[in-house]
Amino acid sequence: MAELRFEGVRKDYGEVRALRGFDLEVADGEFLVLVGPSGCGKSTALRTAAGLEEVTEGSIHIGDRNVTDVRPAERNVSMVFQSYALFPHLSVEENIGFGLRARGVKAGRARVKVLEAAELVGCEKLLDRKPFQLSGGERQRVALARALVREPDVHLLDEPLSNLDAQLRVYMRAELKKLHQSVGATMVYVTHDQVEALTLGDRVAVLNQGILQQLGPPDDVYRRPANRFVAGFIGSPAMNFFPGERVDGSLHAGPFVFEGRPNLPERVEVGVRPEHIQVDEGDEGAPAEVQVVEMAGNETYLHLQADKSLVLARVGADVRPEVGSTVRIRANPADAYLFDAETGETLT
Amino acid sequence: MKSNKWRHLPAALLAVVFLLPLYFMLSGSLRQAGLPPPRTPELLPSPLAWGNYERAFELVDLPRYTLNSLFVVAFAVPLTLLTASWAGFAMARLSRRPAGALVALSLIALMVPLTALLVPRFTIFKELGLINTYVPLIAPAIMGTSPFYVLLFYWSFKRIPPELFETARLEGLGPLATWWRVAMPLVRPVTVAVAVLCFVFTWGNFLDPLIYLFDQEKFTVPLGLRALSTLDRTNFPLLLAGSVAATAPVILAFIYVQRYFLQEFRGAGWLGR
Amino acid sequence: MLRDRERREYAVMLAPYLIGIAVLIAIPALVTFALALTEYDLIRSPRFVGLQNFRDLWDDEIFRTSVRNSLMFILFAVPLRLLGAVAFALLLHRKFRGVGAYRTSAYLPTVVPDVAYALLWLWIINPLYGPLNLALDAIGGPTPSWLTDPRAAQWAVIIMSLFVIGEGFIVAMATRQGIPGELYELGDVEGASPLFMFWRLTLPLMAPTLLLLMFRDTIFSFQANFVPALLVTGGGPAPYATTYLPLFIYRNGFEYLRYGYASAATLVMFGLTALIVYLQWRIVKRWRHAFVV
Repeated sequence: MAELRFEGVRKDYGEVRALRGFDLEVADGEFLVLVGPSGCGKSTALRTAAGLEEVTEGSIHIGDRNVTDVRPAERNVSMVFQSYALFPHLSVEENIGFGLRARGVKAGRARVKVLEAAELVGCEKLLDRKPFQLSGGERQRVALARALVREPDVHLLDEPLSNLDAQLRVYMRAELKKLHQSVGATMVYVTHDQVEALTLGDRVAVLNQGILQQLGPPDDVYRRPANRFVAGFIGSPAMNFFPGERVDGSLHAGPFVFEGRPNLPERVEVGVRPEHIQVDEGDEGAPAEVQVVEMAGNETYLHLQADKSLVLARVGADVRPEVGSTVRIRANPADAYLFDAETGETLT
Repeated sequence: MKSNKWRHLPAALLAVVFLLPLYFMLSGSLRQAGLPPPRTPELLPSPLAWGNYERAFELVDLPRYTLNSLFVVAFAVPLTLLTASWAGFAMARLSRRPAGALVALSLIALMVPLTALLVPRFTIFKELGLINTYVPLIAPAIMGTSPFYVLLFYWSFKRIPPELFETARLEGLGPLATWWRVAMPLVRPVTVAVAVLCFVFTWGNFLDPLIYLFDQEKFTVPLGLRALSTLDRTNFPLLLAGSVAATAPVILAFIYVQRYFLQEFRGAGWLGR
Repeated sequence: MLRDRERREYAVMLAPYLIGIAVLIAIPALVTFALALTEYDLIRSPRFVGLQNFRDLWDDEIFRTSVRNSLMFILFAVPLRLLGAVAFALLLHRKFRGVGAYRTSAYLPTVVPDVAYALLWLWIINPLYGPLNLALDAIGGPTPSWLTDPRAAQWAVIIMSLFVIGEGFIVAMATRQGIPGELYELGDVEGASPLFMFWRLTLPLMAPTLLLLMFRDTIFSFQANFVPALLVTGGGPAPYATTYLPLFIYRNGFEYLRYGYASAATLVMFGLTALIVYLQWRIVKRWRHAFVV
């Protein structure tokens, strides 16, 4: 086990800047998630860590070794691909033991280690099968076992759950977390799904357009987003945004009016999470017309049109106004996030 | 990341080796006939004897033969594209069992050597009174010239998502209309490739014209070239000049379209994705 | 679930191909069988002679030589050609600068019409003036008389066949490109050497295609040497050093007008082809079981 460190890593593909000035330290034994939209550079970061891509600038360190110029084979890392990359003509056992055999480990000893790894992930009964005989979840486990068997310093996982159906994904998430807890390995996990990021990571790194936006525990990233991008990306359904307008002494944001806060820059953007919007049929608050009612089991999403703004509110299952009816919405100023309209930085 | 630097040298060497014969053909054709060979290697002979080309065209009616070859090609290539793509399309759209049987049939037919069929085919055409015509030369085009082309189309059509065809079907398009409006536009690179392959094959076809054509004026380019070689067996510059004239059209056509042909493709599916 | 109209249209689309195969391949094949039992010179009607043709073939020294020559050619040409196609495919399957030009160069000799190709080589291997011997002489090597020495002539024909590997190269390259790149990246991370990856990944996954190529090439090589034999070496030097089966068949059929005899030889050639392909298949099958990763 070892720590992984990116120092000032930049990766360009010709004109395209996939990764810019990337600094990140993954602690020994930590489960760190890289999350962001497509093209944000998360996979690039992972691949540079693996050595599958060369960095344009900067350095990569594993433990106390500078591995920037070291070949992937010698970095002592493992990689799990989104497509699992199982060798179609080899059995499960041969797939798991591939790296061991490639490094000259004798057959007998390899078999022992393969069995251990297979038992860890729960695929010890599949050793004789070929990949085409396995289900998606089973292939995933085999890919994991292969990564574990060599006991590398760092595990790199590139969207390993993206190819699974929704229910299986939830199940495997828990399995992965249990695995990490029992093995205690350093894991760097890439995903575009922010739910996965929040549930799996010890810490979450949010990326956008090659730049690290925020690094911190899931709670921090959710409750204290560093900028507008993180605030809008993390959390589902997404945060509501309104341009802020200062009128007399108060701040008008869409249908809401917040008192006080005189010391604000000229242009602000205000964000309110759907769950922080109070909806009722009384007299207090701004009027809003109910356009769509989405019933999601134990909660309800209301799509509301309040004057010029579209608002999405998350309410309890028992709140079911009629479509077309008018309700009142309110928000607590303490729940509102303020962002500099120019830079996107969160204002405290 | 894979470094490709080390590939350049061996690739370049092999390319040079493989281009050597063509280079020899060109340089040999420009030598003055009758002169002893140079003692030392030279890139291009001096003086450049373009006269060889003149003489080749004088001795043998190469322009006429070129026209004859073009005539055959003009029929064979479009006909091949039609029948091969038709068959390939039908095979791609049929259900598993019949399609599988047809593919197997194609593979077996592909394995049958052409020389094995020379004699009986000749007999058949003789009985039909079609000797000394171009019909036997164009006839293979009716079946797509080669099962290989049919299979190429088959594999390419198979790679088109079936939803596209189903949508067409819902819109009321029959198989022929679907083939023309939906399938063919999606496999342009393959169509080009088959056209070129067929062109190369038909143009250079020596065996069939050899056994079917007797009138000199009907000769195609390969036969004309052979006639040239019997007229002046040892005049290599002359023969090579004729060879260059015979080869140039196909080489040029090939170089022009090779980008469709030699691009990256996964399992014979050139869908430009 | 096809409606009648659809069924009809598919039938129309398949008809030319199927009719063509029947008329141009299936029926001629059957005719060969029939003709092999006759004596036929195209002028008089065929005369049934039973198995006499085969008995004559058995005694025919030239025929036996042809069979030997063809087998020898296959023995050398097929592996070498396959090797060449695979080498090119592995070298040129990735995109790098100029790869298009290299690929074109590999394919270009295949495009040359057979006759021009033959005349070209007639020139190249000319013992006195041809570039090959001139080059060999310049580097102090041997300068065999390609056209008058039997062994040399056979090698000349083999060498000629090594440059026309265009189609095999394309198929091998397509196969190699069909292997997902991630598998190689995984090999990198797992520490597998390039040689290890070649033996354990590339070769096994390319094997089925290579097998098909080998079969096709064997069949093709039984006839590929026809034009060279006809135009370059003329079947010589004596006695019949480069007379291969196709040339034998052609001569007996179209020059000596013994079509029945030629058909019988054709059947033998076909039988030999099938036999060799079958043997190859058996050998590879056995080898594959031993080749466990």
